[in-house]
Amino acid sequence: MATGLTEFLDNFVKNHDNRQLLAIPLAVLAVSLAVLLVSFASSGSPVTLGMEFQGGTQISVETTDSPAVLEEMYSSYPIKDARQAGSRVIMQFGVMDNEEQRQLEEDVMGRFSNVEIKQIGPVYGQELQVQALQAIFISFIGMSIVVFLIFRSVVPSFAVVLSAFSDIIIAAAFMRVAGIDLSLGTVAALLMLIGYSVDSDILLTNRVLKRRGLVEEKVSRAMQTGITMTTTTLAALVVMYVVSTFPYLVIPSFTQITLLSQISSVLIVGLLADIMNTWLLNTGILRWYVMKPEFRGRYNR
Amino acid sequence: MSDKKSLFKNVRVIIFILALLASIVLIHPGYTPGEGMTTKLNYGLDLEGGSWLQIKLQGALVQVDADPGMIVSQMVEPVIGAPIQITGSNLDVSGVSSSDSYITFTTSVPVSASQLELLDLGSVSVDKLNQNTTQVTLTTSKETLIQAYLSKAFDAEVISLSTENGIVYEIRTEASEEEIQALMEKVGGTILKNEDGTSTYKEGVSTNTRDLTRDILNDKLNSLGLKDIPVRTVGEDYILIDFAGIDLATAKDIAEKPGKFEIRIQTTGNETQHVLYGDSIVNVGIPTYHDNQWHTPFTLNEEGARALQKVAIDTGATDYPESHYLNMYLDENKIYGAPLSYSAASRLKESPIYSWEASTGTDEAAKTEASMLQIHLRAGALPVNVVLVGSGHVDATLGKQFKTEAVIAGLISLIAVAAVVFRRYRRPEILVPMVGTSVSEVIMILGVAAAIGWQLDLAAIAGIIAAIGTGIDHLVIITDEVLYEGKLPPTKVFVSRIGKAFAIIFGAAATTIIAMSPLVVMGFGALKGFAITTIIGVFIGVVVARPVYGVVIKELLEADGNGSQESMAD
Repeated sequence: MATGLTEFLDNFVKNHDNRQLLAIPLAVLAVSLAVLLVSFASSGSPVTLGMEFQGGTQISVETTDSPAVLEEMYSSYPIKDARQAGSRVIMQFGVMDNEEQRQLEEDVMGRFSNVEIKQIGPVYGQELQVQALQAIFISFIGMSIVVFLIFRSVVPSFAVVLSAFSDIIIAAAFMRVAGIDLSLGTVAALLMLIGYSVDSDILLTNRVLKRRGLVEEKVSRAMQTGITMTTTTLAALVVMYVVSTFPYLVIPSFTQITLLSQISSVLIVGLLADIMNTWLLNTGILRWYVMKPEFRGRYNR
Repeated sequence: MSDKKSLFKNVRVIIFILALLASIVLIHPGYTPGEGMTTKLNYGLDLEGGSWLQIKLQGALVQVDADPGMIVSQMVEPVIGAPIQITGSNLDVSGVSSSDSYITFTTSVPVSASQLELLDLGSVSVDKLNQNTTQVTLTTSKETLIQAYLSKAFDAEVISLSTENGIVYEIRTEASEEEIQALMEKVGGTILKNEDGTSTYKEGVSTNTRDLTRDILNDKLNSLGLKDIPVRTVGEDYILIDFAGIDLATAKDIAEKPGKFEIRIQTTGNETQHVLYGDSIVNVGIPTYHDNQWHTPFTLNEEGARALQKVAIDTGATDYPESHYLNMYLDENKIYGAPLSYSAASRLKESPIYSWEASTGTDEAAKTEASMLQIHLRAGALPVNVVLVGSGHVDATLGKQFKTEAVIAGLISLIAVAAVVFRRYRRPEILVPMVGTSVSEVIMILGVAAAIGWQLDLAAIAGIIAAIGTGIDHLVIITDEVLYEGKLPPTKVFVSRIGKAFAIIFGAAATTIIAMSPLVVMGFGALKGFAITTIIGVFIGVVVARPVYGVVIKELLEADGNGSQESMAD
């Protein structure tokens, strides 16, 4: 996959001018931004907030009953959703008072085995939400500063930061469309994405700016390394996604690990976006920059 | 063979091997028949089974100012039932020593000093100037007055803390900015502003109070025979309690029992007055049966004993015990009430009493009540109000399953990565060190986790995966840099290539570490573990493991005949 993809991308990059290279990733970025904006306008939040940020209770139990049966069974509680995950059903409840909460917990614990319960108060959820947004924001700013310090020149650094930004936006828009809630796990994934996505961008920029050789040559060399990096990571993530999401296909009693499943799915999309953003967006900007007449081919020999 | 020798003389390699061995010793893997693999690693609740509770400490920190005279009027007039006139005060004069600062007022009705002392306004002296005028001098300070005022208004403890920006009052219960502002306006005061114009009001409690609460909880849970229940502070005003192997309902029972314990005394009618909090109780004994009654013995400290004596005398309980019941409250709920015994009442007139017994009655119910009282008295001492803001539960079997699955996911991921790497380079001399480096990075991360007693939970596992993911990226960068022409370059060029590779790697690692650090500082539960594990992993990788990889592949490729048949697609 890596070799085929590299060849395809390499040819694509060689045969298109910078403007054409930028067009695709910028269009995807624009669509993603539009998705987030529409969501923000209609629901007040660009991504769907999960239980951890809204407050509420999530209970997952091992059962042979269908989600509909369970929904009926707990209809006197503020049940919002019940869905199947292998041999388990995961139920979402709204905010309850202590007494009701306790009653529900006792009922569930008495009736089912292998129970998992998670409850977050609405006030704490609000606080987590603010903190998570701050964390993503500060991380991003911190990353940008480091990138500027490494390259000490505006356009290449900007290209790296824009590409990382686009990765996150595309991953977030995917979450919105695919119905993945923003949870502590997916926030972690978005933060990981910041770390992963700059790896290949830094590699590319470093090779092009600090190495002798023809730009075309340097880009395709960097691409070979970069695509290998991203595909190894992707391979690991796909495995993690499959094992944590569909473990019951292998061993029926096994349970979905929601946290790992969410992290890996968001990262997979983010890294796919990163391949596009690094090798089209970042490369396009960088290639335009180093070929500017004022450098008189300084980076192209 | 000389090459091999030089490899083991390399300082980096030696450090790497030592670190790896140390990690293995720290993890201490073993196999016990029947139990399976055993290690010294600590697992989080989501892998071990158990429940957790997160509680928020309610309180407010605020700087306020007020007119001392108005506070005194506000507080004294309802007690004596007549208006007062402030006649003198030096409380607003700076540089007066605390023993000389005073406020005086006069009133037309007779006043007793003890009546006023109950208000905690400072030390009181009463002079009858003439038939119609009583003059009262309070030796006090503005802080004392504000503290007493707020304490009375919120019916909660208020502490004054000196900070470099002035006196900060800690109200140890829920208090909104609006409530405080309204209260301060009544006494000619206001909430102070910071220099930048923002309000000094802050929800929450001071770090000391938070830590005190944590320590008390810790003590309490351990004294109930629940060893090793970690009680941690999270962020500014949250406390997280992990109950390994205990289900959620039991955990709530245990945690909700400790509460704010208070003894109050009946003053007139249904009115009660504060005597002491649970922190004045130093010892609680086992319920005993004597004199046809069940008793729960407990001991007060100096402060508590004196407070009880003073209040008993002031309210007249020593003379009329039957009309001044002593009531015990847990989280504002009355759990016990009884009058002083006549013998205790008369002894109190002379001296404070330290050892007490609460009698509950004769029957079986009384016995139960006595043992509940024992728990409550012991559990009493939380200084602030708390609310439950989050909780969770994972069954032990489920946790075990998660652990197995995470390990399986990790192993298959590693195989997948190895497959991709092999497809790319098609050379075992590269594949083996690369996978070996990754595996040893995992071992070292686990070693650090074992050394610092870090709890491995699902989030930490995600962090390890993140670190390994960037690790593989970096190893690929090193490999491609070294084999830039498709074969191993001469040593001199090799060294500069490695340097270039590390320039990229350090940059990439720095961005990852910087990107994760806000989570470490902001510190909310699961994500903090994730961030710390990632940072530790990236750090170990960059400093210890990856430099060695560069050295090792050079040796292996040289041994392999200069790696001329590289299959890089140019």
